Amino acid sequence: MSLFSNLHRETKFLAKQRNLQLLFATIFVLSCFAVWSGISETTSQITTIERLIEKDTIDREGVLAKQSDYGSAAYYSFHLTYSSPSNMAFAAIGQRDIYPWKHRIRMLAIEGQIYETDADNPELSFLGRFDFAFLVSVLLPLFVILLLHDIRSVEREAGRYDLLVTTSKRQQRLWFSRAIVMCSALSIALILPFIAGALYTQASLATTGLMLLVVLGHITIWMTLTLTFTASKAAVKQSSAKIASMLLAVWLAVAVLVPVISNIAIEKMVTSPKGGDILLTQREAVNDAWDLPYSATWDEFLSTHPQWKNGIDMGPTFEWKWYYAFQQVGDQKASKLSNAYREATLKKDKLASHFAWLSPPMLTQRLMSSIAQTDTYAAMRYEQNIRNYHKELREFYYPLFFTENTFNLDKMSELPKFSDHKEKSKG
Amino acid sequence: MQEEIIAASSLCVRLNNQTILDNVNFNVAKGEIFALLGGNGAGKSTTLKTLLGIVPPSEGSAAVMNKSVKTDIDFIRSKVAYLPESVMLYGHLTGVENIEYFLSLADITCSESDIERALVRVALQEKAWRQPMSNYSKGMRQKAAIALALLRDAPILFLDEPTSGLDPNAIDEFNQLIATLAAEGTTVFMVTHDVYGACQIAHRIGLLDHGKVVGMFERGDQSHINTEEVHSAFSKRNKR
Ligand SMILES: Nc1ncnc2c1ncn2[C@@H]1O[C@H](COP(=O)(O)OP(=O)(O)OP(=O)(O)O)[C@@H](O)[C@H]1O
Ligand SMILES: [Mg+2]
Repeated sequence: MSLFSNLHRETKFLAKQRNLQLLFATIFVLSCFAVWSGISETTSQITTIERLIEKDTIDREGVLAKQSDYGSAAYYSFHLTYSSPSNMAFAAIGQRDIYPWKHRIRMLAIEGQIYETDADNPELSFLGRFDFAFLVSVLLPLFVILLLHDIRSVEREAGRYDLLVTTSKRQQRLWFSRAIVMCSALSIALILPFIAGALYTQASLATTGLMLLVVLGHITIWMTLTLTFTASKAAVKQSSAKIASMLLAVWLAVAVLVPVISNIAIEKMVTSPKGGDILLTQREAVNDAWDLPYSATWDEFLSTHPQWKNGIDMGPTFEWKWYYAFQQVGDQKASKLSNAYREATLKKDKLASHFAWLSPPMLTQRLMSSIAQTDTYAAMRYEQNIRNYHKELREFYYPLFFTENTFNLDKMSELPKFSDHKEKSKG
Repeated sequence: MQEEIIAASSLCVRLNNQTILDNVNFNVAKGEIFALLGGNGAGKSTTLKTLLGIVPPSEGSAAVMNKSVKTDIDFIRSKVAYLPESVMLYGHLTGVENIEYFLSLADITCSESDIERALVRVALQEKAWRQPMSNYSKGMRQKAAIALALLRDAPILFLDEPTSGLDPNAIDEFNQLIATLAAEGTTVFMVTHDVYGACQIAHRIGLLDHGKVVGMFERGDQSHINTEEVHSAFSKRNKR
């Protein structure tokens, strides 16, 4: 008998089981809700960004019109930076819940501005938001266990087992095709709302396909695990309830314990400076500079910007170029800490990716946020984007501070514009 | 000698350090009705289960159509229609749907009219055919399961207390049915407590007691086996 006719028979069989249909309907509703909640979050992020972009230009133009020198123009104007969600972000909000995705920055020292809002404590947000990734990585295993744990034992308990296995041409195929049919129905209930969401946000075919692969992969892992367990010697004489509780223990271990313990272990293994330390170091450097002789600032500044060595003579009064030089020096002083912070963040992420091999739910969640570009790397890329943009601003202003002196409003139309580099590879 | 369909030789089954079958020997020929008689816990159902590969033999051999249960169980199962001791089908499916489902498990496609004909043969009332089996009485369940076994169209029938739960009319009809099938060449191996019924239809009766075959009765030239003889042997054993 072909596998196809087995599947056909079991599909007909499943179609007559009301209680399972109710379960699939519930899962479908949950998935709709997860997708909807993801879309409403990313939509609101996009709306916020759009509103801020609009306001950003108007605000800056208003401020610039009132300025009479480049120094105060730089001082008083804010620039919006942002990382807009990818089209797939609705499926896995991921680190966007933890790391900021918008900053209004100024020409002042940048590191402090980046770390002003320190990242939330990731442990607290372990269970995270109820998005599609959560449904797939954490709850999906429970659905598979619910569907398959008693696939044999329920027949034993109902006294049908002997008749089933002696009637069935190949009994392994019976259980396998039953499991396949149930897991297919589960996949459909989960995936349909997701596909609708992906069409709505116009996510690319490739990322949608990758997401689907991850979902199906995770279902396959749990189906194999559950089926292997129910077929094992350990399960043969156990009641359905006992088998369910053993499988739930496995779920608890890999979906809850491994992520929590690995998080704690990673925090112990990797020492990282706090965002607040970076802010403090940089602020102290900036504040101290007021009281130090000019030469202290200039020496430090020129060590990285030798091209301005001829523009550093100071008049008797306050000069902006000196002010911005010590802002830059503040960044230079904080750069060691901020590099360490970034390295530690990436190291933690790397370790987490190793731990994830112990936990299919963790692996799934990581893969999904990587596909959705909502992972730690994406957050780091955005931070780097901010630094790059700040550099562009400095490169725009320095010639104005160090050589020209008369303020020309028209010149300000040449201010570099922030661009969200992700835009190009948007999923 | 006639073609040998079922054979047990020196068959022993031990479960949990308990001897359930102890050096059991018998042969069943093609077209024969063989009844295994014995008290509760004698090991009758275990014998059937061993022949079907559900319970593994600890010693000796069990074979069906010259294939060992140890090596060719898929072949054996494909030749045997099994009626288990307590019939449980799917409560949420109707009688007809259950039969369709189990037949398709065995890779048999039957038209609905074939199924209806079988249900008529086992005298299951028509209004029950398309009702969920959770509404069936024990006897009705038994009839549906017998219909399923018949529709398997298998050369061998393994019946574990087939008449339990049936009313006297249904038992008579059932016995006639079995006799007809055997006359057509079907080999029947049945397990029962019903001394009288067994004597009426069986060609041979094996008496099982505490896992041992303690008596063998044959019809010989008679139209049926001597009920009193079997009965006294049976009750002597059970009184001990
Ligand atoms: N899986 C098992 N594990 C251990 N002992 C078993 C098992 N199955 C049956 N037995 C024991 O084997 C003996 C024979 O059981 P079996 O079901 O074959 O009896 P039976 O002759 O069919 O009885 P009945 O007329 O009550 O149906 C009993 O003592 C029973 O307790
Ligand atoms: Mg029995």
